[in-house]
Amino acid sequence: MATKKEEKQFEKECKKARKERLKKMKEEGIEKYLTPDQIRYNRRKAAIDSIWPIFRFLILFGLSFIILYPMIFMISTAFRPDEQMNDPSIIWLPKSFTLDNIKDVWKIMNFTETALNTVLLNLIASVLEVVSCSITGYGFARFKFKGKNILFAIVTLMIIVPPQIITIPLFMQYSFGWITVLKGGESLINSPLTMYLPALFANGIRAGLFIYIFRQFFRGLPKELEDAAYLDGCGPLRTYVQVMIPNAKTSFLTVFLFAIVWYWNDFYISSSYFTRNDTVALMLKNLDSTLIQELFAGQQVGIRQMIVWLEAGCILSITPILIMYVFLQRYFIEGVERSGITGI
Amino acid sequence: MSEMENMQEQEVLETAEEVVEEAAATETNDASEPETTNTEETEAKLAGSAPVKQKGRKIPYERRKALYGYGFIALWAIGTIYFFIMPLIESFIYSFNKTQPVDGEMQLEWVGLKNYIDAFRTDVDYSPALVNMLKDTALKTPLILVFSIFIAVILNQKFKGRTFARAVFFLPVIIATGPVIDIINGNMSTGGYAGGSEQFSSMFEANLVDELLNFLGVYNISDSLTEVISSVTSDIMNLVWNSGIQILLFLSALQGIPTSAKEAANMEGATAWEYFWKITIPYISPMILASIVYTVVDSFVDPSNDVMLLVLTKSSSWEHGMMAAMAWAYFAIVGVVLGIVVIIVNKIVYYEVE
Repeated sequence: MATKKEEKQFEKECKKARKERLKKMKEEGIEKYLTPDQIRYNRRKAAIDSIWPIFRFLILFGLSFIILYPMIFMISTAFRPDEQMNDPSIIWLPKSFTLDNIKDVWKIMNFTETALNTVLLNLIASVLEVVSCSITGYGFARFKFKGKNILFAIVTLMIIVPPQIITIPLFMQYSFGWITVLKGGESLINSPLTMYLPALFANGIRAGLFIYIFRQFFRGLPKELEDAAYLDGCGPLRTYVQVMIPNAKTSFLTVFLFAIVWYWNDFYISSSYFTRNDTVALMLKNLDSTLIQELFAGQQVGIRQMIVWLEAGCILSITPILIMYVFLQRYFIEGVERSGITGI
Repeated sequence: MSEMENMQEQEVLETAEEVVEEAAATETNDASEPETTNTEETEAKLAGSAPVKQKGRKIPYERRKALYGYGFIALWAIGTIYFFIMPLIESFIYSFNKTQPVDGEMQLEWVGLKNYIDAFRTDVDYSPALVNMLKDTALKTPLILVFSIFIAVILNQKFKGRTFARAVFFLPVIIATGPVIDIINGNMSTGGYAGGSEQFSSMFEANLVDELLNFLGVYNISDSLTEVISSVTSDIMNLVWNSGIQILLFLSALQGIPTSAKEAANMEGATAWEYFWKITIPYISPMILASIVYTVVDSFVDPSNDVMLLVLTKSSSWEHGMMAAMAWAYFAIVGVVLGIVVIIVNKIVYYEVE
């Protein structure tokens, strides 16, 4: 295997050699070497190759701007004093910067506590979900048993059925079902168990998708790996832990990252089982009503008057996940590329 | 490798393994009990005549493996029965009942299909929301597909700053599922604040489209066409923000195109256009199917689409029977549509190994 550096070097040399050859051909009269068709093809290709990068840059620049626009808007708004919101002479750059909005929102959202709570909830639920989904995915990928196809159809169903359909019955189960014995007969509503339990049993947020990804990935690993382990006397569970998991590291990381992001962003499921605003996403979802209560003493105010605080709240709530993304961005993209989603 | 071959090979492997294991087993057993031969039938016979103690060798290898398989999915199976199947059945039952939440349980009163009929005939908002939703998805899905293939092809080329461009294009994946997108979209707007997307869209007013067409010398085209064009251009924000995962899927498919295909096309003097249609599209066509399914499902389960909002309002006004009926009718319709689309697209999809 050539290293990246060597490959680059090789490409450079190729280019140079091609150029020299072309130069030589031109000197001796190009018609001697190529048919008119080939000459035309080469000429057209050279023209496209020189123009295309410009277009590509324009397209990517424009679209990147569309994606980044809300972020830029967020930053521009969140750090400006409230009065400057209505100043028509300001578009992007405010006349002065302030951290007051952030401070206010931090206090209103009770951010330190909320964020810690969310992080804890996220990490535990994500870890449980990744572990249980990977075990299930492995079971579907590598074992033959009766009814496997039907069971896997249920996994697909889990992807397609919207959670809204099953929320109310689940709510009833959590409040009055036999599962309440876990808390001594009390309702599980408002307890983090409503997040942990489904995750533990491979039924958390988008669990169907994760099982699918893991199955696809384990199917792509060579069979010889585990055959060797079996012959050496490993049981299936030990094979899975000691042979398969080390090979599936990137896949695990990718799924883990997605699980974290989806748990962090989730407000639908948490709003069904939490009546208090315990997570950052819930806090943000209800930020406008909280703001009205806290800042405007219950008066009805338009969104426009509290936009600076709203955007400050947005910034606060996406910063942790954005930092994670910046550092682990490589794994999001490469992991998905390699994790075998390709094999659908 | 095709499924068939795969299975055969697996069987061969397994039988080979079995032989090896059994040979090992007999070797150890030979010393103590020479009568115990290694086939299952004799074992069974022996078990009938005289109890033979053999640890762990009673269940044939295939069955043992199947049992391990059940063991691996047991956790999921238990969870799914309790957290998925039971609520699903429950909500299906709700949809045929008039529900009344009382302390500790849901009081049900059987009304048959009344909820379904009411949803379509009495409820003013349901049918229009449903039609709108379907129309929207039908318009949006091809757009997202074309757009994400285009972007994926570009992001797959080599150029400076590619890592940055990729990071930017996947940013929506991180953010678009959360409540932040609602604030960005201005869905919370009640007091005249137009969120980022609306502000942005106002840059592409319908007038601009008209002016552009006039400039090109096209006059008096039908209003509906103008409408379609302007709805596309004004929705570019949502388009970009909703295609993160699809771009990711296509990018991973593009990386799976073998270099040999590329080289062969180059040798034959294929233009980029020909290369795209004859090499790229066939290779990524399985992913097109996956993306269609993902796009449809994603817009279908999105809690902020019209039908879902309606369903949620029903839920907050404690009409759970009605809510369940609406959700199930919606689910059935989308399921049928998705099924038809998958069947049609599946005919076009090219699988390299058959």
